[in-house]
Amino acid sequence: MSDAAIRSLRVLCVLGAMPLAALANENTIDRTVAADARGEVVISNVSGNVDVRGWDRNEVQVKGRLDEDVERVDVDTSGGRTTIKVILPKGSHDGGDAMLEIQVPRGSSVEVSAVSADVTSRGVQGAQRLTTVSGEIIADISGGNDSQVRSVSGDITVKGDSKAGALRVSSVSGSLQLTNGAGKLDVVTVSGDARVHMVDASEINGRTTSGELELHAKLVRDARVSVEGVSGDMNLDLGNTGGLALEIESFSGEITGCLAGDKVQKVSKYGPGVRLNTNIGDAAARVRAKTLSGDIEICDR
Amino acid sequence: MSKRVNRIDELSKDIPPSRDLWPAIAAAIADQVSADLSMKAVPGRRRVGWWSAAGLAASLALVSIGVLIGRQFGQPAQPVANTTIPARDPALLPASMQRDAEYRKQREELVVQVNAKLAAMPPAERAKVAASLATLRKSIQDIEAALGHDPANALLQELLVTSCQEEMRALTTVRDSGHQEI
Repeated sequence: MSDAAIRSLRVLCVLGAMPLAALANENTIDRTVAADARGEVVISNVSGNVDVRGWDRNEVQVKGRLDEDVERVDVDTSGGRTTIKVILPKGSHDGGDAMLEIQVPRGSSVEVSAVSADVTSRGVQGAQRLTTVSGEIIADISGGNDSQVRSVSGDITVKGDSKAGALRVSSVSGSLQLTNGAGKLDVVTVSGDARVHMVDASEINGRTTSGELELHAKLVRDARVSVEGVSGDMNLDLGNTGGLALEIESFSGEITGCLAGDKVQKVSKYGPGVRLNTNIGDAAARVRAKTLSGDIEICDR
Repeated sequence: MSKRVNRIDELSKDIPPSRDLWPAIAAAIADQVSADLSMKAVPGRRRVGWWSAAGLAASLALVSIGVLIGRQFGQPAQPVANTTIPARDPALLPASMQRDAEYRKQREELVVQVNAKLAAMPPAERAKVAASLATLRKSIQDIEAALGHDPANALLQELLVTSCQEEMRALTTVRDSGHQEI
């Protein structure tokens, strides 16, 4: 065997052993505690991920892999409240990864706080409060609750179940996507784009600074929609059998779309600004949209 | 029948005068000139001349204030998280645009805390969040600049208020991020 072949073989052996070495530096957790069917589960993690699943047992199960930088995971339950907390060594700034898979009773309310950890949640029917700094959030949210999903720079993807509830979704620089929402929604983003699809929406409050806001919603008869932007464009597609009362204004942007047409008026003969104040049908649902320099497209397709 | 007005911004901004006002103004100026000429001949009426000069000075001061406001609002944007609201003489701002000293103090304190938080973030995340905060600040400055040209605009006033609120919310979110304790 040539020297080159031997060297290659050595390299392959070293590379092959690396995953084993990495595994040797990892700890695991596997704990199950009794929990209330409609209890509260509170989870905090810094880095890695948190994967929450609703199941039909009255137990909370925590499984996961922990970096060597993670000291331990505390799991406590008391008075219907289960807490799961990733503990890092004192003075640790790097934030070792903890990859957690957590099964909770389906009717639980869930609160997750994370820094850079990604968060996913499926099959939970109680209220949820999910917060990250830079981690991505992907969640199924059940109606009938007051839920909140927030991030600083992480992207957020939320899927509703078409049942009315109250949901607040906000991000500073992450993008937001909501599908199948119903009931009341507050959506806020600074520079990220927001795409929202709602059915049977009763109240929508939206705010974007420079991100684009795309809102497709079937409104209940007397719904209220209020959206505001600064430089981001808005695309509003709102359907309501009871008609719409539109109050739309842009300081220096344009108002277009199938509901605009020739009804758009200049605010002043000598200054900038256009507005669309008009009633369609019975004007049962009120729609208010305001922006500084963004364009607003409005339709009822 | 006239339409009922419910809000100030529903009032028309383009109502033409019912008659040509210039002839009356020209006549008033002519009267003033002749009065000034006659004042020189009548020493006992000098007080009127003094008031005219004071009125002229006040008019000039108002124009100067207007120019100053325009220049202040027209200043270019600066990075958000590292700056505070530029100190302006509150006396120069219309009442509707004056921001409370307590608000400014709270914001400045928040910015210091947010800067410390940003410094602890990984570089990529720091850049992303700082850019968003800068976007918020720039948007407030854009609205202020537009208000400098159209101070009575209700839409701009509303956007300014909500943008300032939004900036405070975003700063608070960043400051509190990662501190949610069980």
